[in-house]
Amino acid sequence: MLEVIKPGLETSIQDWPGRQGYLKCGFPWSGPMDHWSFRLANVLVGNAPGAAGLECQFIGPTLRFQRDGVFALTGADMQAKLDGVPVPAWESIAAKAGQTLEMTFAKVGARAYLAIAGGFDNEVFFGSRATFHKGGLGGMQGHAIKAGQVLPVAAGQGVAGRRVKPSARPVFVTDKRWQVEVCAGPNDDWIDEAGQQRFLSTAWKLSSKSDRGGFRLEGPEWTFTERAYNKPPEHGSDPANIVDHGYPLGAINLAGQTPIILVNDWPDGGGFINPYTVPTCAFWKLGQSKPGETYQFVQVSVEDAQAEARRITALCAESSIE
Amino acid sequence: MIYAEPRFKPGGDRFLEIEFGDELNLELNFRAQGLGQAITREQVKGVGEIAPFFSSALVHYDPDVIGYGDLCRELKRLIESVASSSDVELDSRLIYMPAMYLDPWSVEAIDQYIEKINPAKERDPDFVARINGLEDAAQLVRVHSGTEYWVAALGFWPGTPFMMPLDPRCRLFAPKYNPPRTYTKTGTIGMGGGATAIYPVDGPGGYQIFARTPVPIWDMQQKLDAFKEAPYLLRPTDRVRFVQVSREEFDAIERQCAEGTYRLNIVGYQKISLKRYRAWVSTLDQNARF
Repeated sequence: MLEVIKPGLETSIQDWPGRQGYLKCGFPWSGPMDHWSFRLANVLVGNAPGAAGLECQFIGPTLRFQRDGVFALTGADMQAKLDGVPVPAWESIAAKAGQTLEMTFAKVGARAYLAIAGGFDNEVFFGSRATFHKGGLGGMQGHAIKAGQVLPVAAGQGVAGRRVKPSARPVFVTDKRWQVEVCAGPNDDWIDEAGQQRFLSTAWKLSSKSDRGGFRLEGPEWTFTERAYNKPPEHGSDPANIVDHGYPLGAINLAGQTPIILVNDWPDGGGFINPYTVPTCAFWKLGQSKPGETYQFVQVSVEDAQAEARRITALCAESSIE
Repeated sequence: MIYAEPRFKPGGDRFLEIEFGDELNLELNFRAQGLGQAITREQVKGVGEIAPFFSSALVHYDPDVIGYGDLCRELKRLIESVASSSDVELDSRLIYMPAMYLDPWSVEAIDQYIEKINPAKERDPDFVARINGLEDAAQLVRVHSGTEYWVAALGFWPGTPFMMPLDPRCRLFAPKYNPPRTYTKTGTIGMGGGATAIYPVDGPGGYQIFARTPVPIWDMQQKLDAFKEAPYLLRPTDRVRFVQVSREEFDAIERQCAEGTYRLNIVGYQKISLKRYRAWVSTLDQNARF
């Protein structure tokens, strides 16, 4: 059991891969944005890689242990201290009942993950414990954690002093410039060649008007093919309008002239085109970037993106622990 | 247009979009819904979920179980088996939704938009009437409420219906707001492109708005009988009929919904046949209006 002293900035319980299976009812998957760091935190404390843990964004929470437990922190460095003593990330740590874990702002990266042996034991809603904060469902009473709440933890046996091998950890950039993999489609044929080249050669800036539903990007104008102009009226009048269709997770959704990367709490359908899609393997980069930082997109094939996701999943395992 | 061959496009490493055509047409949605049923029935290996939309379907798959190429071939086979049957029938409930047309809350949202964002914006009911060649807002109300709506998909937000008119004489088109509205009240009914939707919660929006229902379509508290199984009211392949109500009736229904005592009129046993729908449409003068 963990008591919330300070909630941090929209800290929420997430599990992986989240609330899958209800896209046709309009439910996003939710889940941790940086699923690489998240899964490693769980592996450190002996949980299944997808067990429910905490996602801390930009400013972490302060939590008090109500009983002894083993926990691990991964992802962004939020300068965590246990009863005032700095604790390392990427390592399992034993806490005693009554001790307080204090996290502050993210020095490197944007999202830190806390796993606790046994995993959080909040109510399962539509197959998952993940929080969809804006939608008011999952997690703790549908929302991010609040001061005064006690987060339920299932019984678990963790071992302290286990570390993730440095070679198995994601490496966060320090110059604010991320190279992000992208696959063409589904609607790349709506963008003309000049527009496609412009997309791939631009360093797109992550806007502060971003949240767990969408990452807005700032950059140049888009140009279109004939298909965007000659279409039946039910598509809508803007070149970027299409007959309402389903949006894949990671889609670069073109809202008029503003590209929005649809992330974990995404609206899963609507009337704009998706010329590109960010694949699973690049989501940790999205999760660890801050507004003002830039994305340079690198086009990869579907098969290469799948292979990279497989490589990351293989790393989220016992073999990465030393 | 209905494409001779469905088009497959990847959406990253684990999604695939199938386009059956590029228009609002019940036949296209039947293909998407039919494929969804076939996938569930045959339990296609590696397919996680499918979200049918108006004229397309989004498929989530596990690339560790099935590759993109194999999945396309498998889906093509299923699509052909669905298309080759002489008729497709889908279960369809009919739900009567009370709606107050030309309601004061839409007027307020439009006023706010005109004042703060775009002073040149023509009021939504007048604008939609004009560009569709109707006499006035009153005729827009007659035409919009004169048909059953087909719930082609839920999306954007949990339980939000994307609907199309089943009666071709009630087809309307409208561009979306540009830039979008910052505020729309829960239950507001509007349209964009050729689709009609109901706003599940307060929020921004892009549809042209001209009516509001007092009945929730999304309720995490699941107060009404109709929400017994899920926090959302409507399901894909439902039909919705808007029933015009006065301000007094609106207020009374709103109260009953808050108390949890309102009973929605839902007809639960019907089936929609594509063959019979086509036969009916062929008897109509499609340029007629109500």
